[in-house]
Amino acid sequence: MTDVLRIENLSAGYGPLGVLHNINLTVRAGERIGIIGLNGHGKSTLMKAIAGLTGWQNGSIKLNGIEIGGTRSQGPGRYTHKIVRMGLALMPQGDALFHGLTVADHLDSGAYTKRAWRERKQRREYVLGIFPPLQKLLGQPVGKLSGGERRMVSLARGLMADAKLLLVDEPSLGLAPKISKGVVEALMKIDIRDGAMVIAEQNLSLLEGKVTRLIGLHAGKLKGGSVSPDVPLHETAHHH
Amino acid sequence: MTAPTESTPQAIVGRRRIVPALRGHGGASWHRWRYPLTRRTPLLIETDYNRTTLAAERRILNPRPVLWTVALLILSFAPPLFGDNSFVAASTNFAMYSAINVIWMLTIGTAGIFSLASLATVGVGAFGTAYLSVYFGFPFWAMWLVGPLFGLVFGIFIAVPAIRLEGFYYALLTVGIAELCRVYVIQSKTLGAAAYGLFGADGFVPKGMPEHEGLVIGYYAAFVLLLLALTLYRAINGQRLGRLLRAAPEKHEAFAEALGINYRLARIQVFLISSAALGGVGGFYATLLHGASPSLFTMDQLLLLLAMIVIGGIGTTEGAVLGTLIVTLFDKVFIDLGPVRLILIAGIMLITVLFLRGGIFGIPDQFAAWRAKRQSERRGLQSGKGGEIMPEDAIEIADKQSIAVRRFDARLKEELRGLISDALIEEHRTTHGKRRSDPLERVLTFFRRQAVADKYAILAVKAFAEYRIVALSGRRGVPPRVVDDQVFATPEDALHGVFVKRVQDLMES
Amino acid sequence: MDPYYLALTTVTLAAIYGLLALGISIIWSSLGMINLAQGFTFAVSGYGAWLVAQYLSNNGVAVVAGGVLTGALTGALIGGIAFIPLYDKPNFPLRSLIATLGISLFGGQCLLWIFGPRVKALPKIFGYGNIHIGPAVASYDKIGSIVCSAILLLLTLGWMKSSRRGLEIRAMMQNPEGAALVGVGLRSTAMAVMMVTGAMAGLASVLLSQTYFISPFAGVTPLVKGMVVALAGGLGSVAGALIAAVLIGFIEAITAVSLGGQYVLITQFLFIIAILLVRPRGIAGMIEHTRE
Repeated sequence: MTDVLRIENLSAGYGPLGVLHNINLTVRAGERIGIIGLNGHGKSTLMKAIAGLTGWQNGSIKLNGIEIGGTRSQGPGRYTHKIVRMGLALMPQGDALFHGLTVADHLDSGAYTKRAWRERKQRREYVLGIFPPLQKLLGQPVGKLSGGERRMVSLARGLMADAKLLLVDEPSLGLAPKISKGVVEALMKIDIRDGAMVIAEQNLSLLEGKVTRLIGLHAGKLKGGSVSPDVPLHETAHHH
Repeated sequence: MTAPTESTPQAIVGRRRIVPALRGHGGASWHRWRYPLTRRTPLLIETDYNRTTLAAERRILNPRPVLWTVALLILSFAPPLFGDNSFVAASTNFAMYSAINVIWMLTIGTAGIFSLASLATVGVGAFGTAYLSVYFGFPFWAMWLVGPLFGLVFGIFIAVPAIRLEGFYYALLTVGIAELCRVYVIQSKTLGAAAYGLFGADGFVPKGMPEHEGLVIGYYAAFVLLLLALTLYRAINGQRLGRLLRAAPEKHEAFAEALGINYRLARIQVFLISSAALGGVGGFYATLLHGASPSLFTMDQLLLLLAMIVIGGIGTTEGAVLGTLIVTLFDKVFIDLGPVRLILIAGIMLITVLFLRGGIFGIPDQFAAWRAKRQSERRGLQSGKGGEIMPEDAIEIADKQSIAVRRFDARLKEELRGLISDALIEEHRTTHGKRRSDPLERVLTFFRRQAVADKYAILAVKAFAEYRIVALSGRRGVPPRVVDDQVFATPEDALHGVFVKRVQDLMES
Repeated sequence: MDPYYLALTTVTLAAIYGLLALGISIIWSSLGMINLAQGFTFAVSGYGAWLVAQYLSNNGVAVVAGGVLTGALTGALIGGIAFIPLYDKPNFPLRSLIATLGISLFGGQCLLWIFGPRVKALPKIFGYGNIHIGPAVASYDKIGSIVCSAILLLLTLGWMKSSRRGLEIRAMMQNPEGAALVGVGLRSTAMAVMMVTGAMAGLASVLLSQTYFISPFAGVTPLVKGMVVALAGGLGSVAGALIAAVLIGFIEAITAVSLGGQYVLITQFLFIIAILLVRPRGIAGMIEHTRE
């Protein structure tokens, strides 16, 4: 099995602010990983750094063995689209939806990458199977949907891409507990095959027992978890 | 669309501003001086004693008034004295366009209304006064007096949409309004469509005067106009209206409103005042050129004006004047090239806007920002601080000495860690009571310096038979605690045990 | 006054203004840039078409193609100069606005330098003559203009509505970061937008040059009119731009007939100021979710 994601010595931040400090993380194919941390400890920054959206970063990030990190000090988002085309899907915290476009447009835009575009019909069927409520909303502009529905659209858009690595940033944020449970369950239903999924979450109880590994993120450093499938848990815990 | 506001002199944390120092006392007497009718001191002079030589020193904290005075002094005599006729005429143009740009800066910078109709306002003033002079025989002084009225009326007309529109919508609209004026003037017979301009207005240069003298009078009149424009800028931007508007920059209007500032009214006031002033410049234009030409309304002329303020830096008077100087100089020096010189000017404008954030006068700020960014990123990358305190934490610590001590300690430990080796530990074991090597002495000196709290000590359980290592509590009445279960037979062994423990602590810290 | 003539003139003008305004509007909403060099694109395309007519072929299709192609290339050039280096820099909207103004000054003077101040005329690509549709009489010019613009407008709108590229542009109009997250490249999309809008300006140029002459500064008036229409329609709204184009075209036609040609701009401006006072974001600025 190859490593879907391999992060080595990643530091990232915005301007004078260093948010992540020397992060090491390996994600294997077929794994679902939960990253648990409080607000402001760098969960979203980690996701953004993988997508190339932070102010600056350095260190190595390898997606399916291809380097997508490196040292970069400006132009947040300049390479994001290329990283996305290599098989990354980020479902960000703020949803980053297109408020004037319909749900159907969103699903199509999710399948923007060339390969996914060709099979977007089948993929749409598949995604609607995971999020059945979207079936009725296909013609609606997203600006008029509720928070939970928007989150579903955001996740569905990410799933359309046929990505190897799914990054889900705070799926429960701003949702009622019941709905957020439903969202997490839907995430667990997704067939990741030879890909992997990383979920950042504040609420430990939502993910406990459902994911392959749980890792804590505290003050920009990964703690209290196993950062690589090969390293036993207590060793990393001792190291920090 | 934020126009940079004038910055007050301030020191950047972590970097000392370099200000040239003058010798001697007497700075304080400057504090008694005031600009007339204001409470502003002309110069901020700091008097101090040099820390090293104890000599008295004066520092001018805001050098801009000095530079302005020098520049205006040069402008007041140099062009008529050294230049030929065409040079004086170009200088006149420079002074007049500087005045226009300085007043325009009030609209863009102070009021924050991105109006591109400044030249159109001048044109309205020029055409209005020229019309009155040609058809009703107004003398030049009456034209000067009436010009602001035309500007004000036109200003009121174009201020109506400014109340509702924001940013770019208004900028686009004003471009359209200028074009509307041009088309109207070209098609209107009374405004001289046939003659391509309305000429024959009264001038302020007495008839029959030799050409050079006439041009010099024209230059001085334009120079006075520039001074008036600068005074107006100062009076608006530096006084109440300017202060109110500085509290309400774009996107932060709500805060100002919460403070009770009626920023809309202040904006419109500034806009109308500058419109009236531009109308006045229009009146001056008509008396200088004995009329008005529709080129005042053309897009190219407007773009040239925009090039001036963009090159100098939008938002400051010195930027407006310097930009005007550069563009008029270019215009004058390369006059033989024809349209190519406009291409050159446009090229400079493009380069400026592509590479500079705030024109030429923004270069120092941009450079400082770039350097600060690089530095802060480098700092952000150092994730291991090694016990040192980073500058951003330092502001929270009252005792600055402790910062230095921590930094010294951290570096000392770093250094000493490099000295530790198995050979050194062996040397310590074998050389008890003898002379020791320099590295070992260094390490031992550091260990001996440690504070009493948690310091290791040796407890003689049975003299000459059983020794153990304890750690002192550092508090009176609290007994030392035993560190581990190692038992040493001799004091020398125990001393070495303490040393090894210390070394371990050093390596782990 | 002849209502058929009025309607025909309105539609002709609306078609041409629609081309210009849609260009400005799309660029604003997808790139966040006000392209005041659209007038320059207009002028260059006129010269491009003229060069084709002069040296290659007098065929109508070739002339139109020449204009459209020149327009697309000029659009790409403007994008390369004013958008690509600036879009992630501070104060981008103002600086790109100034940059496009700089380009238009630069380019206008270059055209003046290369081609001289004498105006040029394009061949009549639609031929001379009139066509009778029921009670109305229309010249080939007008019919040709309407058909050509309608074709290009419909093609563009259809392309934006249904193709992959179009979806990418619509996505970027709504949320650039979200667009990057689904794999849309900002730069390549920007260049596509600039080329399409440039082609629109190029077509408008060829069509308008059937009535007016080509000169280095011929783009100013169309630019201003296109801007006025885009403003009245609400920057960034396609539907608004089209509605506004019809309204402004109608006002131009009725003013020219009843008051006289010199009052056209004045009535148009009074109209647009009135619209903007009532709706500061234009006719459709509130209907659609446009860029913040």
